[in-house]
Amino acid sequence: MYKYSEKDTQFLVERVDQFEKQLNRHLSGELDEDKFRSLRLRNGLYMELHAHMLRIAIPYGILSSNQLRALADVADNYDRGFGHFTTRQNIQFNWIQLPEIANLLRDLTDVGLHAIQTSGKATRNITADPLSGLTEGEIEDARPYCELIRRWFNLHPEFSWLPGKFKIAINGARLDETALRIHDLGLRLVKNTKGELGFSVYVGGGLGAAAMVGPETASFVPVEDILSYLESAMRIYNLKGRRDHQKKLRIKFLVRELGAAEFSRLVDEDWQQTKDDPELKLNLKELHNLKEDFALPIEPIDLKGFKDQVDFNYSIWKKNNVRAHKVNGYSIVNISLTKLGAAPGDATSEQMRILANLADQYSSSEIRTTKRQTIVFPFVRRDQVFDLWKSLEKYDLASPHQGTLAQIVACPGRDYCDLAKAVSIPIATRVQERFNDMNKLLDIGDLNINISGCENSCAHHHIADIGLLGMQKNGEEYYQITLAGETLHETNIGKKLGPSVSSESIVDAVENIVNVYIDNRKNQERFTDVFKRIGIEPFKEKVYG
Amino acid sequence: MVEIKNPTSLINKDYESIELVSFSEWIEDSERLSKLGVGLIIEPGDDIYLIQNQLDLIELIALDFRGFDDGRGYTQAYFLSKRWQYSGEIVGINAHLDQLQFMIRSGITSYQLLESYKDANEEDYSNGFSLCYQAAANNNGLQLQY
Repeated sequence: MYKYSEKDTQFLVERVDQFEKQLNRHLSGELDEDKFRSLRLRNGLYMELHAHMLRIAIPYGILSSNQLRALADVADNYDRGFGHFTTRQNIQFNWIQLPEIANLLRDLTDVGLHAIQTSGKATRNITADPLSGLTEGEIEDARPYCELIRRWFNLHPEFSWLPGKFKIAINGARLDETALRIHDLGLRLVKNTKGELGFSVYVGGGLGAAAMVGPETASFVPVEDILSYLESAMRIYNLKGRRDHQKKLRIKFLVRELGAAEFSRLVDEDWQQTKDDPELKLNLKELHNLKEDFALPIEPIDLKGFKDQVDFNYSIWKKNNVRAHKVNGYSIVNISLTKLGAAPGDATSEQMRILANLADQYSSSEIRTTKRQTIVFPFVRRDQVFDLWKSLEKYDLASPHQGTLAQIVACPGRDYCDLAKAVSIPIATRVQERFNDMNKLLDIGDLNINISGCENSCAHHHIADIGLLGMQKNGEEYYQITLAGETLHETNIGKKLGPSVSSESIVDAVENIVNVYIDNRKNQERFTDVFKRIGIEPFKEKVYG
Repeated sequence: MVEIKNPTSLINKDYESIELVSFSEWIEDSERLSKLGVGLIIEPGDDIYLIQNQLDLIELIALDFRGFDDGRGYTQAYFLSKRWQYSGEIVGINAHLDQLQFMIRSGITSYQLLESYKDANEEDYSNGFSLCYQAAANNNGLQLQY
């Protein structure tokens, strides 16, 4: 994996020094709240319902075991002993005290971690497929491109004060685990007819109140020209994006107002002026170096004759949580942090240290985070998977929920977030309690339930098989249901089922929806395929009938 | 009309004072104004493309950075400095001390701080960074790391 050089670390230290000065000026009353808000968000710091929340970047979802241990130390030294892995592969701490922020960030610079641009109106952490570089059939490993693009837009002088936040995802696989077309800008690595590598670009996707699948603005941008193309897209957004209406700041509103064709034309017109600028060409030498940094730390091993252990619980866990690796003799292990009653994605400092130690022992000291708020061990020898499972089980980390509906994605909701209109985690808990029979879960199979507490859609409910959106109705908490959202094979925003459902009835509604799916599916048909075949009516009848 | 005094050593031309006109005044009457050797104030919402072919006629351009969260001035500075190679002074007016590093790297050649920074102690502000991760209009002597 990529390690920060001394110069990179120096940059992080300088950034902390700068933020500390800003903090001190704010605490002494010299820097007003509005300006401080803008500056603190660019350093990942939010003011939440009860305390300050700090979001630390996990670039494209990759952590070393030492970094995870440092995050565990942050949880113990500055928070209440736990952290929260987010749907954008980052980690958040919810109970941070303002005067301690600089020391916290300084501690993290030692392991190359930071909170730069994890919030605010600038380019956010770039997300990628957590299985990048690990599976057969990939078009190209996205990680080196993620790193180069991340660097380029790190405190970019022209694009650090955009109309709204700007989220980028990059996918190099054939299936889309990144949900790139619901990002402000999504990049898909593709090859043209000559076999040359480039990017298809999608701009203006987004969730929230005006959910939109990002249209393609360029079908093929050569790899070396991607920085200039991205700059042109951001330049048009920076100049023409809405700044007059708080709810229309994102680039999707500009793309919608101009029309995708006109937006693409403006970007292309600008790009023609810069694409040949040698300063803006992707640094191919550095790309080569990065490919070496990201080279897999394992070699194929011959496990002929190896027979895995036979154990009922192990085989259930293995079926749901272990995937084939492209390197012979290895597996990819997915670890669910989901616990009844706890926020999905929450991990205690103790769990973080256990995972870090297990990663040292079983996964070449590397850990990845996913948009489903799970942890991936990318390099586990097939003949050590059982031992890893035994250890995970010992520490109550061997939940076999991965790939079942019990692996619910939920935002912190109204329990923690002052933007939320309704609770999320208690609903997730009630759904998990309703579906607590493992045989039933295995029978239902891979079905996503995502729960967002408000229209900001932090839990990505629009792209789940079953999406729940919290809202207020006459002072009561209600949930709007959307069905058949997806991103893996194609990108579709979930369809609204009908009137929102009360908190009391929402778990019944979910169960009814699942039952319609089970009753109608043929063979191993996915939820979205059943929905496309039978339409929304049978679901409506069962829920509202 | 606003008078801008030489604000800092960053200025590389020695203006004692120069008369400034608004963007709309310039657009309406550029032929007459260009003979007077005036400077131009551009607000964030002004369409900078309109003056692309008139840059030789303008002595100085002031970009207004008053709005802390309004980043359009940075792109305007980029157009003037890098894209169109404007040879006159590009002054960032109503500037905020915390944003100087961004303004300078986007291509402004001098600045005038907002009045509220009059008594500011520079030590309370960051010196900026020793490297940068991208080429910009002005790399400001920073080591490029990309």
